[in-house]
Amino acid sequence: MAAKKLWIGIACLLALTLAGGTLALAGQKHYINGIDANFPPFAFVDKNGKPSGFDVEAVNWIAKKMGFTVTHKPMDWDGIIPSLNAKKIDFIAAGMTASPQRRKVVAFTIPYWTIEQVLVVPKDSKLTVEQVLKGGKAIGVQRGTTEAKWFAEKKGKNGFNYTLRLYDSAPLSVEDMLAGRVAACAMDDAPAKDIMRKKPIKILGTYGMPPEEFAYAVRKSDTELLKTLNKGLKMLMASPKWQELKKKYKLQ
Amino acid sequence: MNEALQTVLDALPYMLQGALVTCALVLASLALGLALGVPLAVGQVYGPRWLNRLIRLYVWFFRGVPIVVLMILFYFGLFTLLEINLSAFSAAAMVLGLTSAAYQSQIFRGSIQSLPGGQLKAARALGMSDTIAIWNIIIPQALRLSIPGWSNEFSIILKDSAVAFVLGTTELMARTHFVSSRTFQHLPLFLAAGAIYYFLTYAGVRGLRSLERRVRIKGYSHGS
Repeated sequence: MAAKKLWIGIACLLALTLAGGTLALAGQKHYINGIDANFPPFAFVDKNGKPSGFDVEAVNWIAKKMGFTVTHKPMDWDGIIPSLNAKKIDFIAAGMTASPQRRKVVAFTIPYWTIEQVLVVPKDSKLTVEQVLKGGKAIGVQRGTTEAKWFAEKKGKNGFNYTLRLYDSAPLSVEDMLAGRVAACAMDDAPAKDIMRKKPIKILGTYGMPPEEFAYAVRKSDTELLKTLNKGLKMLMASPKWQELKKKYKLQ
Repeated sequence: MNEALQTVLDALPYMLQGALVTCALVLASLALGLALGVPLAVGQVYGPRWLNRLIRLYVWFFRGVPIVVLMILFYFGLFTLLEINLSAFSAAAMVLGLTSAAYQSQIFRGSIQSLPGGQLKAARALGMSDTIAIWNIIIPQALRLSIPGWSNEFSIILKDSAVAFVLGTTELMARTHFVSSRTFQHLPLFLAAGAIYYFLTYAGVRGLRSLERRVRIKGYSHGS
C-alpha cells in the first residue's frame, strides 16, 4: 500500500515538473527579454532580486509605450543567442554588441549606444597598454564577448604576446585581477566605469579594438518585433526619459 | 567586514529563494531517477540478454557524457528538433533525472544482487510468478538496502543542480553570482552559498538516516 502511494506520488511529481511549460496569454503580447545579469550598469539584478539596469528600464518604458508586457530573464551569456533562436526568449536587450558575426545569426535593431573597448588595471599598476599587449602578461575577458574573440584572433600577430583568460563575467575577471592572477582586464568602457566606482582599478585606455554599437537582438524571422522595438527605441531616444536613464546609471 | 556581512544579509532572501528552486530541481530529478532507476535495475538483473545490453548502453551514455553537455544537447538540440516546448527548469530536471536514473540503477542493481539468490528460487517453488516475487519480495528489500547509497546520490545531485544555470534556471548558484557581480563581495557571498548547500545536504542526509531507521526490519538486517 505504501509502495503504491510512493509510485503515485512520484508520478504526480513527474507530471508537475513536465507541466512547467509556457502559458498562453490572451490579449496583450508578452515577450521575454534574455539578459546577462552580470553586466552592470546595463543589466543586473538589484537588492531585491529584480532585474534592473539601463537596458532593463529602457525596455520597460518601450513596453509600456508600445503596448506589450515583458519579463526579463537572466541567463548565461554563452547560451543567450541559442536560447533566442530556440524561441526560449524573444529578444536580447543587455548591452549586446551588434557584431558582424552575430548579424549572421540574429537581426539587430538600430544602435542605441556606442562603447569603446578599454583595458583596466589595478589602481597602483604601472603597466602601459603596450606592455599589456606585448609583454607576455595574462589578460582577463568575459567568455563569449566580442573582445574575447578579438584577443583570441590577434594573439601572436603584430608582436602581440599575452595569455588570454576567460571568465564567466567581467566582475569576476576584475576580482581575479585584484587577486593578482591576471595583469589586466578588457571590457566595455561603461561597465569599466561602473566597476571603477566600486573597486580600486583604473582605466588604462583603449587598445586598438574599434568602437562598437549596442543594439537589441531578435530572431531573423521576427520582423514584427523588430519593427516594434525600433519604433520604441526611436521614441525613447527622443524623449527626456533617455537623459533621465543616462543620468541614473551615470552613463554620460 | 561589516559591509560584507550586510551584503550577505541583504542578499539572503533572494538567495534562499534560489535554494527553493534548487530543492525543487533536486526533488524532481531524484523522483525521475527513482522512477526510472528501479525498472532499469530490475531489467538489468532479471531481464533477457538484449535488455541487459541496452540498459548498460543507457547507463554508459548518461554516466559518460558531462551533465552540462547533456543539458545543452537536450535543451537546444533534441527538444528544439522535436519541437517539445519545455521550460528551462523542466528540461534541467529531466536531464538531471535521466542521469540520476543511470546512477541509481546501479545502486539498486548492487542491492538486488546482494540478496540471497535462494529467495527467488523459493518464491518460484511456492508457485509465485517472477513479477510478483520481484515486486513484493526483492524490491522492498533492495530499496531498504539502497538507502545509504541513495543518500550519496542525493548529495551529488544537489551539487550538480548548480549546472542548471546553463539553461537559464536561476537557482542558488546563479543568484549568488548575480549578487556578487553587483556588489563585488564574491567571497562572503559564495561562502554563504556554500553554507546553504551544506545545510541542505545535512538535512537531506539526516532525513534519509531516519528513514533508514524507520523501515528497518527488526532482527532481520544488520545492526537491528
